[in-house]
Amino acid sequence: MNNTSQIELDTMAEQAAELTSRRDFFRKAAAYSAGAVVATTVLADASEHTKANPKDDKNILEEKPWSLELGAPVTKNRYGMPSPYEHNVTRRTTDILSSGNMQASIAVTPIQDLSGIITPNGLFFNRCHGGTPTIDPNQHRLMIHGLLEKPIVLTMDELKKYPSVTRVHFIECPANGGPEWRGPQFNSIQFAKGFMSNAEWTGVYIKDIIKELGLKKEALWMLAEGIDNSHMGRTVPVDKVLDDAMIVWGQNGEALRPEQGYPIRLLVPGWEGNLCVKWLCRLEFAKEPFYAKEETAKYTALTKNGGKAIQHFYANEVNSVVTSPCPEKPWKDLKKGDLVEIEGLAWSGMGTIRGVDISFDGGKNWEEASLKGLVLEKSWTRFSYIYKYEGKDLLLSTRARDDAGHIQPSVKQERDTVGVEGVYHRNGIHTWAVSAKGDVTNVQILS
Amino acid sequence: MYKSYLKKIVSSSIVASVVLLGTTCNASSDDAKKVAKSSNSVGPAKAEVSDSVKRTYANGKKVIDGGVTYPIVNGQTGAYAANEKAHKAAVKFGKPATANEIKAWNIDVMPDGTGLPEGSGSVEDGEELYETKCVSCHGDFGAGSGSYPKLTAGNAYEMQKTMVNQRVGGNDEGPKRTFGSYWPNASTLWWYIKTGMPHPAPMSLTNDEVYAISAYILNINEMEIDGELVEDEYVLDREKFLKIQMPNKDGFIPKIDGPKGPDNVRAFYDDVSNYGNGIRCMKDCFDGEAKVQKIKMAISDFTPPLSNEKSLPAAPKGAKAEHPGKAGYEKHCAVCHGTEAMGAPMLGNKKAWAKVLKQGKDTVYSNAIHGKNGMPPKGGTSLADDKIKEIIDYMIEEAK
Repeated sequence: MNNTSQIELDTMAEQAAELTSRRDFFRKAAAYSAGAVVATTVLADASEHTKANPKDDKNILEEKPWSLELGAPVTKNRYGMPSPYEHNVTRRTTDILSSGNMQASIAVTPIQDLSGIITPNGLFFNRCHGGTPTIDPNQHRLMIHGLLEKPIVLTMDELKKYPSVTRVHFIECPANGGPEWRGPQFNSIQFAKGFMSNAEWTGVYIKDIIKELGLKKEALWMLAEGIDNSHMGRTVPVDKVLDDAMIVWGQNGEALRPEQGYPIRLLVPGWEGNLCVKWLCRLEFAKEPFYAKEETAKYTALTKNGGKAIQHFYANEVNSVVTSPCPEKPWKDLKKGDLVEIEGLAWSGMGTIRGVDISFDGGKNWEEASLKGLVLEKSWTRFSYIYKYEGKDLLLSTRARDDAGHIQPSVKQERDTVGVEGVYHRNGIHTWAVSAKGDVTNVQILS
Repeated sequence: MYKSYLKKIVSSSIVASVVLLGTTCNASSDDAKKVAKSSNSVGPAKAEVSDSVKRTYANGKKVIDGGVTYPIVNGQTGAYAANEKAHKAAVKFGKPATANEIKAWNIDVMPDGTGLPEGSGSVEDGEELYETKCVSCHGDFGAGSGSYPKLTAGNAYEMQKTMVNQRVGGNDEGPKRTFGSYWPNASTLWWYIKTGMPHPAPMSLTNDEVYAISAYILNINEMEIDGELVEDEYVLDREKFLKIQMPNKDGFIPKIDGPKGPDNVRAFYDDVSNYGNGIRCMKDCFDGEAKVQKIKMAISDFTPPLSNEKSLPAAPKGAKAEHPGKAGYEKHCAVCHGTEAMGAPMLGNKKAWAKVLKQGKDTVYSNAIHGKNGMPPKGGTSLADDKIKEIIDYMIEEAK
């Protein structure tokens, strides 16, 4: 666990200790107080000896300490914190996702706990190759150079003077689902699909900056580099740079968190998360690709086709997963005949989600689910299906499609096309096995 | 028409169907729109193209990633409104980058040698450096340790042949992806070591040291340069470095080098058979029951462990116990003593409390219990005397 989250947890625990002691106090105080008897019930007149009804919810009949005393002053938590009761909603990691230590690893998002399409900044997944630096924005610079007539250096204040753009996009690590090419391994949606998050980003289109810098015709590629320990670099084709690539400083209304590249990161909408270089310091234009370290050592996908690996694998393909129910949030307390909403997320790095199909028999037969809420390009999109619970075993699969004409392949189709050694870009149809009791487990369908 | 389409897709290979659909799409924009309405779109050639959703960039070139673009049409791009003037305005800030600034930050090393400085180092020197700076993570002779990367998997030329291995059907021998067997360019190695290693102290090695460590890594991968095996006494320099031919140089698709590079990428992602796509079948999509693959060995050592509990977290280790009077103060007394405005000695106001305490602690207790001036007896509560004293003690503590 990183230091930040330990500090957060400690703060939450302190709040909790305070709450506990206040509740203790309340109980003790009540014992001393003449008003103690009435204070424990909200019934208007306790002396009426209202007959207890076994259906009574004591949470309604009993007074709660938080309604009988003052709450925290507005001066507490100048930067707000989640309720201490939510302390289990947190990023998580596991050793096999690390390249040696917790500075070259990933902490994944609890998508089981999220509502809507926006990931809170504190829960946005964090992948780094050399730890999270604490950068002084006053000392940070962005250099844009290479095949340009006018190479420049920008301070953060100068960068933010450019006309800004605000867009909602997901960032997904191409290894999302990657440990499961040869079969399911995680009985958890957080680990099976949580290498991604979705946020509203504010920044500037790179095309809006370089149009005044005289980009040379022979420039075909752009290197983006970070100034952290890892000096992470990635090569982006100029075609994409001139379409929708951005330098962003804002995330969900506030400055980027340090884990997300404070003060600035590259955003390459829809493409592999590692292209969205954090702690961005340099953009260099060139006529040949750069072959930065992680472009070879990590982010290439080996196929079964003659042992060739796909390099420069860009867009995260169309994908979907049911978030409710899921292993962390099984179906509980449902009776036969209850109508229950099946909910999930669909996304495509190549365009906008057009629809999601749902299957209850592992993909033999399908029905169309509904999309709901905002349907934005290269963004998480919520889908919904009202299901009549029958208390029987299900194989719950979903298949998304986008406006670029892509349809999620079955696990079999995907394995038949690229094999099982690719690590990255696995978007085969995801399936949860739901038991008659409502328990959910992670499976793959090989039909 | 579209049923026969589907049959063709199912019965022919994906490549063939994409070619077929591509032709349809290019025939005319009317045809393209008809196709777009079909729910059986397959692959990028079947994108739902219109004025506001295109398969091309602003310069007319086809997209590079198999996706679509959303040009601004009448101030709108996709679901977003856009200020077109803002994107056309000749905004320019910042200062020209100086030659020294560019030199200081331009640390990349490209396959053609751009950015690779002069210098030299021997395998022997490299081994010595490796033993002091690298071995703790990368293990003896680059064999790796823990989950830190292996630097070799044996003879690079032999290991390159493992790339065709697939761990399916009982074959557990997977591809060996290390520097020697996998990487297409040696320039990446030099750049990596110089700017990223040692992991806790990047940018700390001299150019000669980077050459020496590179030479050692070539040595443990049993590699040759210009037909000569990189043995213990081998001295690597810039000229020799640029002659390194990586065994897996041709192991990558699409081809990105040269002026046609981006166009090769464009063509690659335009063809879904290169990376896979599904078919929108709705009924009886396979024979028999679904074949289910379950988890064999679940990975569950998660930090922190999974939990749905809505509960208060445990108190942090070594946390200071709260003063017993604090909660009572906040509940009963803070309304007046939490602010100067009420005229009551405020919590934490050292001066005010010093004045109060001049009367002696017992008088303060007594005044609080029996009331004085604006202070009602026990602050208007029915707390026991001991509890009132506890609260007074807390307020005195806070003013120290």
